[in-house]
Amino acid sequence: MTRRKKSAPAPVPAISPAAEPVPFDTRRFLRNLLVAFVPAVLVWLVVTPFYNRFLLAAGENVVHLTESPDVTELLPAARDHHHGLITRRDFPPSRRLTHTFRVTDLHFHLVLLGALFLAVPGVLLRKRLADLGVAALVSVFFHLVLVLFWVQFVYATQLGAWSAENYGAFGQNFWGLGKHLLDLPFKLALPFVLWAAFHLDRLLPRRHREPNAP
Amino acid sequence: MAKRTRSRETTGDPAPVGTPTGWRAYRREITFLVLFLVLLGGGFSFIAWTPVNDGFVEPFTAGIARVSAVTLDLLGQDVTRSGTIITSDRFAVNIRNGCNGLETVLIFLAAVLAFPAPWRSRAVGVVLGVAAIQVVNLVRVVALFLTGAYMPDLFDASHTVIWQTVVILCGVLLWIVWADRFARPALQRDAAAS
Repeated sequence: MTRRKKSAPAPVPAISPAAEPVPFDTRRFLRNLLVAFVPAVLVWLVVTPFYNRFLLAAGENVVHLTESPDVTELLPAARDHHHGLITRRDFPPSRRLTHTFRVTDLHFHLVLLGALFLAVPGVLLRKRLADLGVAALVSVFFHLVLVLFWVQFVYATQLGAWSAENYGAFGQNFWGLGKHLLDLPFKLALPFVLWAAFHLDRLLPRRHREPNAP
Repeated sequence: MAKRTRSRETTGDPAPVGTPTGWRAYRREITFLVLFLVLLGGGFSFIAWTPVNDGFVEPFTAGIARVSAVTLDLLGQDVTRSGTIITSDRFAVNIRNGCNGLETVLIFLAAVLAFPAPWRSRAVGVVLGVAAIQVVNLVRVVALFLTGAYMPDLFDASHTVIWQTVVILCGVLLWIVWADRFARPALQRDAAAS
């Protein structure tokens, strides 16, 4: 029986190990996700009534940036805290209410966002919460833009003769397609995009290591 | 995302030779995200285009309604279907764009195509992923019909919040599993072979 020769020490890699992301543990992520959904849903349910009011108030200010004089009012509906009313002060009282929309539908994807960020394995809870905070802040800006597009979509396409009088073909298509894209694909994909922005490096193949220059 | 740069900044070590720095350190991530958003926006604009909508999306949605109606019949619901509308004595539902699973399919397809992977792996991902998403969407349509028929108070929340989240989550999870189990190993095998 021959004794195996002791192997030489491994060469020092060109990139320090600290610079490499920790590999992604999919199984643990799926397990964590089931647990993370509970706090994500609970927090979202508690915050929703307040957040809806905030979105209507802040969204109204954003809409005012695109109109002169400021005639749009976004009000919470009396029937429940999920709906908002789009009203115009320059319309006669009988037509002042132009549209009702479900504000809660604009931000339900926050549940998915919360669960995805909280479930990431191999990252300290403080770091996960910090990342989630940044992602949530980006989402708030997205929601405000979405409110603007909702209101302009209603004005441009839903008010019959008034829409045709005040918006040209380009305006109607711009606000219509913009609202369609923001309210469906981009809203639904936003949690994934934000999650990927933070954690994609752990799913990508290891970076090719180039030899040291002489 | 600042992990790599920060680790160098805090240790004060100079970046090793050959290591990309600054925004170039995140070139692959940025490429993925930009490509994903372009494919997603392009895909949705494409299916919103009237000829595509009339020639593909509407017949596809009618097909979903047909399969859903057959499934509901098998579950003992006496339903009739007309186009995209499914009706019973208790409830009626119109399956419109947004309920046909195409949103999740497009999000999944954009993510698969934007990820750096061999085309063979992408093909496997597309075929299996799209089929799985459509199965989940079928469960969603049937469950929503039953919710509307027997628990109508829960229909709104179930329709927009619960099931949309579930279907999108399935798409995201399928992509993560595909990227981790299919795409990355295939890419590493190819790199090792070359």
